[in-house]
Amino acid sequence: MIQLRLNLLLLGALLAAMLVSLLSGKVWVPPGDWLRGDLASLIILELRLPRTILAAAIGAALGMSGAVMQGYLRNPLADPGLFGVSGSAALGAVSSLYFGYAISALLLPLFALAGAAIGISLLAMLAGRSGSLILFTLAGMILASISGSLTSLLISLAPTPFAASEIVTWLLGALTDRSWDDVRLALPVMAAGMIALAFTARSLDALTLGEAAARSLGVDVRRLQWLVVLGVGLTVGASVAAAGIIGFVGLIVPHLVRPLAGHRPSAVLLPSALAGALLLTLADSLVRIVPSASELRLGIAMSLLGAPFFLALLFRMRRELA
Amino acid sequence: MIVLLVLTTPAAARPMRIVSLNPCADAVLMHVADPKQIAAISHYSHDARATSIPLRQALRFPVTSGTAEEVLALRPDLVIAGPHVALPTIHALERQKIALMRLDVAESVEQSKSQISEIAIAIGMPQRGARLNTAIDKALRASAPSDKMLIPALIWQGSGMVPGANTLADELLRRTGFRNMSSAYGLKQWDILPLEHLLARPPRVLFTAGGAAGRSDRMLSHPVIRRLSHRIVISDYAPRLLHCAGPSMIDAVKRLSQVRRSLKANP
Amino acid sequence: MDMTFDGISLNLRGRQILDAVTGTLRQGRVTVILGANGAGKSTLLSCLAGLRHPDSGRISIGDRDINRLDRLERARMIGLLPQQGDIHWDIDVTALVSLGRMPHRGRWGMSDADHHAIQAAMAATDCTHLAKRKALRLSGGEQGRVLLARILAGEPQWLLADEPLASLDPAHQLDVLDRLKQCARTGAGVAVVLHELTHAARIADDILVLKEGRVIAYGPRDQVLTPDILANAYGVEVHIGTSPAGDMMVVPIRRIA
Repeated sequence: MIQLRLNLLLLGALLAAMLVSLLSGKVWVPPGDWLRGDLASLIILELRLPRTILAAAIGAALGMSGAVMQGYLRNPLADPGLFGVSGSAALGAVSSLYFGYAISALLLPLFALAGAAIGISLLAMLAGRSGSLILFTLAGMILASISGSLTSLLISLAPTPFAASEIVTWLLGALTDRSWDDVRLALPVMAAGMIALAFTARSLDALTLGEAAARSLGVDVRRLQWLVVLGVGLTVGASVAAAGIIGFVGLIVPHLVRPLAGHRPSAVLLPSALAGALLLTLADSLVRIVPSASELRLGIAMSLLGAPFFLALLFRMRRELA
Repeated sequence: MIVLLVLTTPAAARPMRIVSLNPCADAVLMHVADPKQIAAISHYSHDARATSIPLRQALRFPVTSGTAEEVLALRPDLVIAGPHVALPTIHALERQKIALMRLDVAESVEQSKSQISEIAIAIGMPQRGARLNTAIDKALRASAPSDKMLIPALIWQGSGMVPGANTLADELLRRTGFRNMSSAYGLKQWDILPLEHLLARPPRVLFTAGGAAGRSDRMLSHPVIRRLSHRIVISDYAPRLLHCAGPSMIDAVKRLSQVRRSLKANP
Repeated sequence: MDMTFDGISLNLRGRQILDAVTGTLRQGRVTVILGANGAGKSTLLSCLAGLRHPDSGRISIGDRDINRLDRLERARMIGLLPQQGDIHWDIDVTALVSLGRMPHRGRWGMSDADHHAIQAAMAATDCTHLAKRKALRLSGGEQGRVLLARILAGEPQWLLADEPLASLDPAHQLDVLDRLKQCARTGAGVAVVLHELTHAARIADDILVLKEGRVIAYGPRDQVLTPDILANAYGVEVHIGTSPAGDMMVVPIRRIA
């Protein structure tokens, strides 16, 4: 089965990438030393391992969200950020930075999750129960716009340029020095989100035929909308809480795997998760290996990857239309 | 009030593997620490645009890019961090129970001097700290103006950023015989100056600290500024003098008093 | 059991789309729904499929209100072939036809019954040779047949088709019409919205004519396909004749002033 082979291939590549990630960093730690139980294994077990797991988890969550978004909106250019939940989660996190949070390491992620929750509720309120896609997309754009403006406002009101720069830096996305605490907080939320997303698989397939046919096949569009909103909200919220804003994964990955997986929306979900995990793990290793004074911000690395991808997409579409 | 000192070893032993993550702390260490005590300084000190230490001196020390694993690999017995180290990194270090000293941005001479003392005590060189503070006091006295006039001035830090009241720059201006116009304009602690204020009530001196050496700030070449050039004295001010307190203050007040004296000569 | 609809009314944005529409879809018979553009035909079909709730009136199968049925049970019983033949993803034909089995499928995988239904549906619509082709690369006519195969794969008891002949060539049009007739012969109740009057004559057992949301005629084919009723419905003068082989022909001649 093509499907099985694809998934196994991606899984294998992912495991290899995770190994690379454990080897990546400014300090060289030979594999023989990993479990020796002293400083070297400290670096591996307390710093690089949680970071690797987080990169894979966030990549998987964002990849799967992107696949569901594209299936739900019937648009191969949809991105989890379209719902505005990443914006509202970021606003929550930025608020905690703005009001000063040296109190507890957990405060920023919790604020981010709260922001995501508020975003989800606002979406539900704005879009109503109609299930209309246009209304939904508009509501998401409004939410993204409002969150973005408020975030910019907080940046401009920051008391010192250093505080402003701290906020901006956080927004650019990074996994530097994340710990098991971050993993413990983000992983269950992401897992819950991905389970919700997995339940949409069949309905997304039915939507291939359009909404009327899908409903006649027994799809409950309102339940589907809730699952999508919840799934995307939880996965994106947890990702932002752990690592700031990381874009393009949800957009690029489903695109890349779709032709390999046979175009059926349900078949794209698992490969997107695996490929997303692979992509982000590799990118996060790259930012540590690239020689520079300090680590390249992960969000920037993804954007730099995303732009040429879009150019390639544009050229291919032009050729097809010509 | 701001320094968080977490020492788990008795103060008897002098730290011999200090890692600094903050360029301002680096500058202080250059004066008060024995070079053998320093395991690494911050990567900013190797960058000509961001360093507060003479580059040649800085290059003698290794640097870290600020990630926890690099710091841990050096097995430090004291880590000095400023206010802008990423919190996950701070928490990672705290979890390993490493002695961590966190410093805020010093917004006054007093605050800077007490930071210098605390650093010196923490590294076991209290006398050197006292010596540095004495040198700072001496420089301040030498830069005090000979008359009571407070000349209106403004420090312009590129893209219109202006340090206002309750900043170190504000205090240094005052001590060298200037009046910081930012409060008169109603600006906050750090703010962007609208050009209209400058036109309505121009200062006597405009210190420009924006942009790399030789590159003129976009706002400074504004035609409106050129019109004012006969009324305002525009003087260079090295940007690095605004980055840190500590030993940089000596050079800062030297520059400020130099300009002050030249103004006295041509009223 | 028949599907009866009684007094169906629907008002959308101030317009009365359907007004007290009453009729019956009998199992084993083809009911053709005729009417000018905007007469409410597609809306009626949506209501019969349970996709729209009428403001008043009742649609029942036997004595069960279809809007009270479990969603999946209704999906098993009633199949809808919508007017827009949307295909959003470039999936292969077999996967597309398999979508028709969704109301029947268990949680995991497909049973033998599912596979059998899919194969039969594809054979009936002459799509077997298209099995591995990608849906978006097919011609308009091929897509039309594949979409019909999808609905046939669901083995519905009521088959509702909204203008299923668009983009098909004459040969395939006749094939689809005959296939729909065949479905009725094997026991399903079929309702089709058609534009071409001769096509309607070819397969209709009963005809329902809508004008501005109201039923202006309902009954067996020969009673409804008359010049007077069609003039009222469409505003055109028609000529009704017979082909040499005996098939009824209905040809619009000119507009009625």
